[in-house]
Amino acid sequence: MSYYLSIILFTPLAGAFVLLLVNKENENAIRWIANVVAFLGFVVSVPLWFWFDPRGADFQFVERAAWIPSVGAEYFLGVDGLSTLLILLTTLMGTIAVLSSWTAITERVKEYYIFLLVLQTGMLGAFMSLDFLLFFLFWEVMLVPMYFLIGIWGSANRLYSAIKFFLYTLVGSVVMLLGILALYFAYHVQTGVYTFDVTQYQKAGFDAGLQWWVFLAFFLGFAIKVPMFPFHTWLPDAHTDAPTAGSVILAAVLLKMGTYGFLRFSLPILPDASHRFVPMMVVLSIIGIVYGALVALAQKDWKRLVAYSSVSHMALVMLGMFALNPVGITGSIVQQLNHGISTGALFLLVGIVYERRHTREISEYGGLSKVMPVYAAIFLIMTMSSIGLPTLNGFIGEFLILQGVFVADKRWAAFAASGIVLGAAYMLYLYQRTMFGKVENPKNERLLDLDNREFATFAPLLVLAVWIGIYPAPFLRRLESSVQHIVVRVSPQYAAKYAECNPTPTPDRVAASSNPAAKFLAAIPCDANGNPLPEKR
Amino acid sequence: MVPLNYYLVLSAMLFAIGTAGVFVRRNLITILLSIEIMLNAVNLTFVAFGRALGSADGQIIVFFVMTVAAAEAAVGLAIVIGLFRHRESLNPDSWTALKW
Amino acid sequence: MPPGISTSDFYYILPELVLTAGALVVLIADVLLPRERRSALSWVTLAAVGATLASLLPFTSTHVEVAHGLLAVDRFALFFKIVFLVAAAITVLMSVRYLAIEGASPGEYYFLILCATLGMMVMAGGIDLITIFIGLETMAVSFYILAGFIKPNQRSNEAAVKYFLLGAFSLGILLYGMSLMYGLSGTTNLRVMATSFGAMAGDSRLALAVILVVAGVGFKIAAVPFHMWAPDVYEGAPTPVTAFLSVGSKAASFAMLIRIFVEGLPSASEDWRLLFWVLSIATMTVGNFAAVTQTNVKRMLAYSSIAHAGYVLIGIVAGTSRGITATLVYLMVYSFMQLGAFAVVVMLRRADVVGDELKDFSGLASRNPFAAFAMLLFMLSLGGIPPTAGFMGKFWLFSAAIDAHYYWLALIGVLNSAVSLYYYIRIVVFMYVKKETLGSEPTTSPTLAVVLAVAVAATLVLGVYPQLLFNVAAASARTLGAAGATAALR
Repeated sequence: MSYYLSIILFTPLAGAFVLLLVNKENENAIRWIANVVAFLGFVVSVPLWFWFDPRGADFQFVERAAWIPSVGAEYFLGVDGLSTLLILLTTLMGTIAVLSSWTAITERVKEYYIFLLVLQTGMLGAFMSLDFLLFFLFWEVMLVPMYFLIGIWGSANRLYSAIKFFLYTLVGSVVMLLGILALYFAYHVQTGVYTFDVTQYQKAGFDAGLQWWVFLAFFLGFAIKVPMFPFHTWLPDAHTDAPTAGSVILAAVLLKMGTYGFLRFSLPILPDASHRFVPMMVVLSIIGIVYGALVALAQKDWKRLVAYSSVSHMALVMLGMFALNPVGITGSIVQQLNHGISTGALFLLVGIVYERRHTREISEYGGLSKVMPVYAAIFLIMTMSSIGLPTLNGFIGEFLILQGVFVADKRWAAFAASGIVLGAAYMLYLYQRTMFGKVENPKNERLLDLDNREFATFAPLLVLAVWIGIYPAPFLRRLESSVQHIVVRVSPQYAAKYAECNPTPTPDRVAASSNPAAKFLAAIPCDANGNPLPEKR
Repeated sequence: MVPLNYYLVLSAMLFAIGTAGVFVRRNLITILLSIEIMLNAVNLTFVAFGRALGSADGQIIVFFVMTVAAAEAAVGLAIVIGLFRHRESLNPDSWTALKW
Repeated sequence: MPPGISTSDFYYILPELVLTAGALVVLIADVLLPRERRSALSWVTLAAVGATLASLLPFTSTHVEVAHGLLAVDRFALFFKIVFLVAAAITVLMSVRYLAIEGASPGEYYFLILCATLGMMVMAGGIDLITIFIGLETMAVSFYILAGFIKPNQRSNEAAVKYFLLGAFSLGILLYGMSLMYGLSGTTNLRVMATSFGAMAGDSRLALAVILVVAGVGFKIAAVPFHMWAPDVYEGAPTPVTAFLSVGSKAASFAMLIRIFVEGLPSASEDWRLLFWVLSIATMTVGNFAAVTQTNVKRMLAYSSIAHAGYVLIGIVAGTSRGITATLVYLMVYSFMQLGAFAVVVMLRRADVVGDELKDFSGLASRNPFAAFAMLLFMLSLGGIPPTAGFMGKFWLFSAAIDAHYYWLALIGVLNSAVSLYYYIRIVVFMYVKKETLGSEPTTSPTLAVVLAVAVAATLVLGVYPQLLFNVAAASARTLGAAGATAALR
């Protein structure tokens, strides 16, 4: 049994313990240690990209140890393609968040970094856990450090935003706990076994009535996190009042917890309910897309605008997911990664000007591209990524989602497309107001451009944005088996066709295929509907 | 022989009088007395049942209850005296130090 | 069989005898020791508690009835006795500093603590109405005196009078119910009663008895609507006494509740389950919402304690073996976090500052990081956030509820649990976020440090690795009752 996942999981926590021992006066040492630990956490997780075998078993690097045998809870970790990508996103964004806080945080520095690192462990644990109770533990553990990060180091109104975030998310989580318990006992009735093993639940068949209620319970927990309309009201406050690193982590990673929850738990374990709730999910998603975009258009606070753009983007992600076909789900996952990259970068950008000018009012800015050209360039790239310009990552996600949604229902695709147009509207409007035109405000004339450290926080994001935009195949390849795994459960009609033209790749099939360069795709490719494409020999 | 129900009704009435006294009376000592009436009603019930069932258990329990009630009353009166030293009043409405 | 107590019975009540002897030793030592050496009394008390704990060791797997069915020495009683003794030890450690500041006489104080513990132990083991009554009274009278122990303090006196009056009143109601139970069954032994009640389920006189006993027990556990005494008494009594009251008395009352209802009244289980269902929902909700408005930390903890009784009642309502196990687990876990929280309140007490208002907690994180972290942990545990013991306890309670198909109860429970975090976090905000220097300077003493360390360790360890506690509690719950009673545990 490998310990690799545990190493990734506990590296940040170990770093937090080390920080406990450092004297709180020695701020420089604290900053260096925290950054080194965060970077180490990222470096330790990079092999996951190479070692994860897309053709291999469903869940890899599995670790199982008894935890509470009398209840059937285990220390059960494992990753598939979906979790691998999300874990890499988490460790990367964690490193960037820690790096971005170097000059931004000047008080109670030690506690700040300790909370960030503990939060990191919580998030990683939630993505890795395959035991429901363990997952719930990590899910709740995330709340406390985030509350402190917002409450202590946030801006005006931070206490209100922090407690709103905390209680809102908590209510969703505890209702989710009841759903977990209902599944736990139903599984026992079926099989006589008490277990929290998610992989077992994913193979079991639950009664449709039970699925309905449990889906609702899970819905509350995950939808608040995503956040879906109408449970999104905590997000603008929390994002706006959090410190930069907090906003980055919130947007880039914490929001993905909700969608991850749907993908890992709601869809595979509750397939019948997922289908029955499609109308509700689609309606809420479409409202979220359009509403989020319209409200973003009306914002005067820069950070709040980006926060509402998050609502809109994540609603698009949910729409793609609940098209319930392989392309839609793949697009949804890719767009989650893209959102993490682009919105994380957008929050970093806001944080940089906020550190310089201590205001988030859009009207205070203007013409910054003349004063901070590098900043403006990065901002432009990330704006285009957020909008979905081809050659950048946003396009790939949006295109796949639209394709999947179009297959499911053309009207939905029409709404989704309108949301994309609105997205372009508010982002470009923001860019124009802040970057273009004359430098009206004299305070803006002396702003410094990005220094090396700040540029370093953007570099990986820029690389990823272009990489996914131009050559997404490695990412899609790793997602294949996860999406297949989900689709097999929730929309088996696709899986069947998938199996015909894309049979589970085994080494001999790959070897026997006429295209030996296709490392895992077998000879017959499929189109979005799962129909075999005509052979071009 | 007096039927069991007569005893039970009497003790129920005594219990009710005691309970009403606890809620209505405005003097600490009287409240204490009302509680004692309640306990005596209980004693009566025990003895009545004991007799009806033909066992001595009822009367034995009454011994226990009486002893404990006496001890409790002693302690209670000591506490009331302690309070009286502060306030010179036995009216429960006059203490407002512990309110909402 | 010759009537009365036989010599072998003395062996089984060894722990109680040891504790009685210890209490008498403390009292005598108080008289004999010169005034300056009075502080040694706390060590004598701790030695007594330790000796009692040690004397529990031979009984870890006994299952007998003593003196022809007056006391039971089984794992259920053993579990509770451990809870009481640990709580007593922690209370004694907490009281050392507090008594020194207040200038109260320690000898009688420690004697009363030991007497209260003795009463609790008898309540946990009692399977006869008389025994339960005697244990209850021993505990209650000791607490009446303890609540008013700081004689110069007016709030303390008032607390004692309120507690006494309402306690005696509730005792009357409970006794009346017990008398009806006796009359209807012809015996005072709970286990024998269960079989004779089996024939008369649904009898309205039995229902009346059940209602009266529920009311009487409801007073002791401070369930709504019988909770009116609790906030006043908790606020007015000396803080260590409040701590012991909220933990020991509550646990003992729950032990009594389980004995009476699960062992003695399984045939009326439809009635009392419904009554406790109502009580549970009312208690959780009222307790929580009342706590939200409080600015006095002791009063807030009092209302939170009321709400917690509501959560524990969920386990009773579920009524299955899993439910009783959950009750036991939660009571053990609750003891540590509640005692810990009160210990931090004691820390803020100085000669001139009472230290129990919210503003006294301001900036505690910068003054005494360990105490602030401990309080943070206890607040999170009381609210049920992993990885604390409080979460494990609540998890077990809610799973018992779901298992027994009480879905609405579980839903209300989790929502209340979420709401409660609002006021728990408020203390955390004062400690960590507010930087005002109005806060009280905490006093540290070695005994308080030990208390905090023990409570923190228990909360964290049981939160991450609760396996041992689950097993012990399950084993204890299974030993409940003779053949007649197990019908109540589905």
